[in-house]
Amino acid sequence: MTMLQVRGLSAGYGAADVLHGVDFSVEQGTIVALLGSNGAGKTTTLRALSGLIPARGTIEFCGSDLNRRNAAQRVVLGLAHIPQGRGTFGDFTVEENLAAGAYTIGDKRQVAADIERWYAAFPRLAERRRQQAGSLSGGEQQMLALARALMSRPKLLMCDEPSLGLAPAITEEIFEIFKSLNREHGMTLLIVEQNADLTLQFADTAHVLESGSFTASGAARDLLGSEAVQQSYLGV
Amino acid sequence: MQLFFQLVVDGLASGAIYASLALALVLIFRATRIVNFGQGEMATFSAYCAWQLCEWGMPMTPSFLVVGALAFLLGIGVFRFVIRPVSKAPVEAVVVVTLGLFVVFQALSLWLWGSDQRAFPSMFPNVGWDLLGVRVTASAVGIVGVLLGLAVATGAIFRFTRLGLAMRASAYDGEKSLLVGIPVERMLMLGWGFAAVIGFVAAVLVGPRLFLSPTMMMPILLYALASATLGGWDSPLGAMIGGLIVGVAESLGATFLPFIGADLRVVIPILVTLLVLLVRPVGLFGTRTVVKL
Amino acid sequence: MSTWNLRYAPASLAAVFALGLPAFAPDFMLFEFSIAVSYGIAILGLNLLLGVTGQICLAQGALFGVGAYTTAILNVSFGWDPVATLPFAAIVAGLIGVVVGLPALRLQGLQLAIITFGVASAFPQLLLKMDTLTGGVTGLATDQPMAPKWFPGSQEVWLYGLSLICAAISIVVVTRLLRGDTGRMLRALRDNPVIAEALGVNLTKGRLAAFAVSSALAGLGGGLFCILNGFISPQSFLPMKSIDILIGGIVGGITSIAGAFIGAVFVVFVPGFTTDIDPALGGLIYGLCLIAMMMVARQGIAGLRIEGLQKAVLGIFRIKGLSRIPGSVPGQLGGE
Repeated sequence: MTMLQVRGLSAGYGAADVLHGVDFSVEQGTIVALLGSNGAGKTTTLRALSGLIPARGTIEFCGSDLNRRNAAQRVVLGLAHIPQGRGTFGDFTVEENLAAGAYTIGDKRQVAADIERWYAAFPRLAERRRQQAGSLSGGEQQMLALARALMSRPKLLMCDEPSLGLAPAITEEIFEIFKSLNREHGMTLLIVEQNADLTLQFADTAHVLESGSFTASGAARDLLGSEAVQQSYLGV
Repeated sequence: MQLFFQLVVDGLASGAIYASLALALVLIFRATRIVNFGQGEMATFSAYCAWQLCEWGMPMTPSFLVVGALAFLLGIGVFRFVIRPVSKAPVEAVVVVTLGLFVVFQALSLWLWGSDQRAFPSMFPNVGWDLLGVRVTASAVGIVGVLLGLAVATGAIFRFTRLGLAMRASAYDGEKSLLVGIPVERMLMLGWGFAAVIGFVAAVLVGPRLFLSPTMMMPILLYALASATLGGWDSPLGAMIGGLIVGVAESLGATFLPFIGADLRVVIPILVTLLVLLVRPVGLFGTRTVVKL
Repeated sequence: MSTWNLRYAPASLAAVFALGLPAFAPDFMLFEFSIAVSYGIAILGLNLLLGVTGQICLAQGALFGVGAYTTAILNVSFGWDPVATLPFAAIVAGLIGVVVGLPALRLQGLQLAIITFGVASAFPQLLLKMDTLTGGVTGLATDQPMAPKWFPGSQEVWLYGLSLICAAISIVVVTRLLRGDTGRMLRALRDNPVIAEALGVNLTKGRLAAFAVSSALAGLGGGLFCILNGFISPQSFLPMKSIDILIGGIVGGITSIAGAFIGAVFVVFVPGFTTDIDPALGGLIYGLCLIAMMMVARQGIAGLRIEGLQKAVLGIFRIKGLSRIPGSVPGQLGGE
């Protein structure tokens, strides 16, 4: 089943468009990667999808037209977006961050249960539940950002450059978490990355963005080591 | 020594008033990075409404409650129709807009109720006690009590409720808040509403001490601005403690510093604030430097 | 930094208007315009400080008062010719302005605004306290420089001419300052003080110099105001005067020279107009005018260009809300 269907998506900042009409879809239960070098329009895509910037084109998510919903309403529909640079509230404690992540969930018991559930999954966060998020290490913050996004019980989890600023071992750990979320919980993921080799090992489908348009799309394993990917990074 | 303690008690009472207005200013500043210079005049306007209801024969408590609700709507309305349209404008433009609010609400009070001073009813009985030679009035106790109540209430809302968490998040980072589904704009609007209610509380406390007049809150606004600066613009607790410090310093300074005296007492909050800022440019409890204008 | 480029269109329009005014304006109006010019000089000082170097001073009304009192005292107690006192009004206000600006070495933005506004609040009290010199509540009445016999126009035209000469001198001073290295140094104070310092700009000197010039202009304006009005008292220099000067600066456009005088005309005339519309509702209308002005002309009147005007008019019909709040919430008095 198609969870997210994007047609002719254009978006940008101010007068100039960064993204020039891209089409893609995300099937339920898959991991989709958006690859590309700096400034290719990956982050812009995610920001347009989550409603942080205005966009043209159609975005259909689980049967509803996202253009009619503002950013907050899209979270209620089941779209979660972990922005670049973690997106945790540095001033808040770990627990407050998780509680803020569950803002759209009305049921208090469910929130409490979910908090415990993610503490169990990420014991390091449980140890630091009263600490300020800003005092955590980069990897811990990324885990917190992930757990916080999961608190809203999303159907589609979008993650912007999870590897940014993390040691390779930690990055791998984060990607393992993505994989297990996908396998064990059927979570659908849309991951934006510069680290193409690693991402392609985990993703099912991938699209390569260059200057706001796709230059290659296909199954991740076909793209692994392909010329199109190489080129987009070398800027040939 | 008796005089000293007497002055401290008096200073705490007036300081609590500065503190409540400062709290209103800081709540708005934290949420929207705007200093609302019209806050005091909005409060005066609300106080006039309460006075009018009392004049029409409504008992004090219900009329205060009704006007409290009105003040909340006023704050929301001002945000929605005046502040939101200029939210992307340069800082200077927004400063003029809030100064415009100042002018508008002062003129509105003047137009509706004239410039005559009116006696404003006090919430507290006119009694006092003698503690070791220091006279403590019920109104002084009541004013400080109301401030403590406000402090506890805002603290509890921010710390323990979902709404408070969402408001803090919106103030901290609007974009991240949107991404977790918090309707940021609504939170900012609520922030303006709450601040207007707190401002009204400040005006209700001032009213009986100064008489009601359209310009009643003007001097209080200066003290409240100093208190918020002294305490740190991003700290509600700082604003309240700042207010108390300013109140006590004013009361002591006007008596014990002969070259200042009663007529120059207005410089005291500024001097105290300046001293604190020279040591800690962000204010006692502030964390971030306020850079631009 | 095209912001402070002289916007020739409004500037030349304003100049033509100012020079042609005596031809058609009645004397009483000319008097009001002269008063507006005296404010305009003070606003020009503030624009230099705020618009160019990015520092705020809410004591501009008090410094205006210092200039006015310098002129009055030199005239009343020492018998000087009023016009001859003007340079001293500027110098005295400039020196006091340096003292007022001392906190600016450590404080910026909102904190500096509050501290300087405290100075403005204390100023009338200080005048009352020094009543042997200032005449206390009764104020001081000064002589007016009379138009010489050969002058064809009225006394008001003569004084208006004096105001224009003062304004011209101020404009020349400011434009010269903004040229070349000094100008670059002043702008660096606003745009990036850290880099400026790293490049060898002496921040302390720069900031205080900006305060001195700005205050001197306020003093010149104040001295002129005293001469025009012929009488001053603490009542003329209440803290709201500083706020009016700030409003004038912003409404006119803080990065523009012409804007300073446009803003001055606004704060001198518009409250009067709105009171004429309805005496009771005048203040209300004025306040609404201010708010509406800023919704339409965010950079001030001088910031409006033809295309800007077009956009502004369209904007009235379709006021855009926040489609994006995040980041630094716009319209902020301060930021992270």
